[in-house]
Amino acid sequence: MTVPIDKLILGANPFEGVSYQSRTLSVQYQERFAKEENVAAVFEAAYNSGVRAITCSNTPNVIGALARFPKTKEMKIYPVIPNAYEYAMEASEKGVLGAVLSKAKGFSLYQKVRLGVRALSKIKSVLTKDVMDLLLELLDFEMQSFSKLNIGGVFLHGQLTDMALSSHNPDILSIFTDVIRDQFKTEPMLATHNFGVLLPQLMEWGVKVPIMAPFNSKGFMMKPTQAECESLAATSGYQIIAKKVLAGGRLSPEEAFPYLLDKRHDAVVVGIGSVPEAYHTFTVAKKILGL
Amino acid sequence: MEPNETKKVRTAVIGLGKLGILHMSVVNMIPRAELCAIADVNKGLAKYVEQAGIKAPFYSDTGKMLAEVKPDAAVLCTPPFANLSVSEQCLVRDMDLFTEKPLAHTFDAAKKMMALISGRKVVNATGYLFAHMGIYKRAKAILSEGTLGKLFRVRSGVYTSEVFSKKKGWLYDPEKAGGGAVINIASHLLYVLYWFFGTAKTVTAQTRHIYSDVEDAGSALLEFEGGIQGTLDVSWSVPGYRLPHTEITIEGDNGTMELTNDYLKLYLYKAHKTYPKEWLTIHKIDLPSTSRFEIGAEGLYEEDEDFIHRAADRGRPAVTWADAFEVQRMVEAIYRSAEAKTTIRTGDLT
Repeated sequence: MTVPIDKLILGANPFEGVSYQSRTLSVQYQERFAKEENVAAVFEAAYNSGVRAITCSNTPNVIGALARFPKTKEMKIYPVIPNAYEYAMEASEKGVLGAVLSKAKGFSLYQKVRLGVRALSKIKSVLTKDVMDLLLELLDFEMQSFSKLNIGGVFLHGQLTDMALSSHNPDILSIFTDVIRDQFKTEPMLATHNFGVLLPQLMEWGVKVPIMAPFNSKGFMMKPTQAECESLAATSGYQIIAKKVLAGGRLSPEEAFPYLLDKRHDAVVVGIGSVPEAYHTFTVAKKILGL
Repeated sequence: MEPNETKKVRTAVIGLGKLGILHMSVVNMIPRAELCAIADVNKGLAKYVEQAGIKAPFYSDTGKMLAEVKPDAAVLCTPPFANLSVSEQCLVRDMDLFTEKPLAHTFDAAKKMMALISGRKVVNATGYLFAHMGIYKRAKAILSEGTLGKLFRVRSGVYTSEVFSKKKGWLYDPEKAGGGAVINIASHLLYVLYWFFGTAKTVTAQTRHIYSDVEDAGSALLEFEGGIQGTLDVSWSVPGYRLPHTEITIEGDNGTMELTNDYLKLYLYKAHKTYPKEWLTIHKIDLPSTSRFEIGAEGLYEEDEDFIHRAADRGRPAVTWADAFEVQRMVEAIYRSAEAKTTIRTGDLT
């Protein structure tokens, strides 16, 4: 089954202050996008360039910008969950499980109101450290932020996908895909930084969902090798959402997008750091890729 | 363990905090490793391991795990205050050991750990990750080739936005952590300085408590072999650093090198081998990938793979306990200097 996916998707890394190029740029992003209106301005530029999809975590500035952007209802949103960075920041004080538990404790109370009886029954999972239940709770909690939006599909965060891959066990991925389909009635998708390792494993497990992974002419973050990733993309039949196409900003749009012309892919995600960059990047992308 | 080209290294992961989970994931992906057991004093983690689908058995008693599973090697991700006792348990069995950094929470404990491996033919490694990152390896090569000429000075700093109030946990307990930002954050930078220039001969330092019972910031003047003057600055209590950021500037009589986590920038007065006169920037993105899998951080896979492969071929890992001990010596010098308000000669620390 082919899942409908928007061809051009606005990514959110710059909105979270992520730059692969320099700390200077990271600080610029942090400062600029601390204001929701600046995030919304990039949404507007992307919309005006014909982009109708956004992928993001539930970071407050992005969620706030989605709330204030007048055309949000016309945009498909592809949440990336859980928000791994937030948990990682708390993990040094509380441990990984502690970070998750503290979040879970907070939202269990919150969910008493939002989710009613179902949430109350789940409090047990917090006390027993039942990982699978906790994962479900995290999905529930984070999806609340996106509940009023037009969801195109939900990505499992790359750290979680790759962690599940390293356990050589399909259960976590199966639970994720089942819950997203059954409970949230949308399409599960996987983000990864290890495309060429993940895909053979997914084929063995019989898990077939769209995959978001780095694809760029520099081979940046294409594991285990650029050649293996390209070969699998060409032959596997999986739907592929290419990210890091600009190689973390080392390639201009004019240099980057021609690489995709002979590579099998279904969609492209690009993070944008400013309004002019949005107009330039998406104009070039549409022209080169014929969108 | 005898050299064997095909035998897998049966490896236990001890300690299942943030880094333990990452190392467990990485070890489980290294073809020459067999993740044979996991140990953590927190019994509640047994369910996590089981539900995460990890096939290796979980033990809440490390001694019992070692006796029953008999691993060839272990990756220690215990808090540093536990490293000495856990290492003792492993080394009586002549196991190869990787310890996360720092080697120990105190200089005394680190000395005892060095005594434990003295005379033992065990492979020992420590988790100073920068040794496995492409941009730092390139910087080391540039220095080793003499590109900057005679070296004069090095300025360095490491910063992260992590502590802005009093926090709980062993990391902020002086007895258990052995210190704060210096031992936990700046030790990575001290490793790089040691790797590039050797152990500092003298250290003059100040530390500052802002929110914590351990120091939240510190700075030091360092003097290295050959008269290279250095500065180091660290804080985990400054805003704007969503991830730890390291910056190093090295000055020599043929130019300068600015080195960060993302790039290195050379300015040379005269071209040297393949490096041109004046400016050249090398981004980490432009360097070839050296790992087949990545999780958590660049270099983590290479770090564990290096340990596993050296355990198999009985070679010397990139960062040994002896290297980590020299870092510990500089950390100790910083703490002693800050306390005594005087310059410390690291050679006097025995």
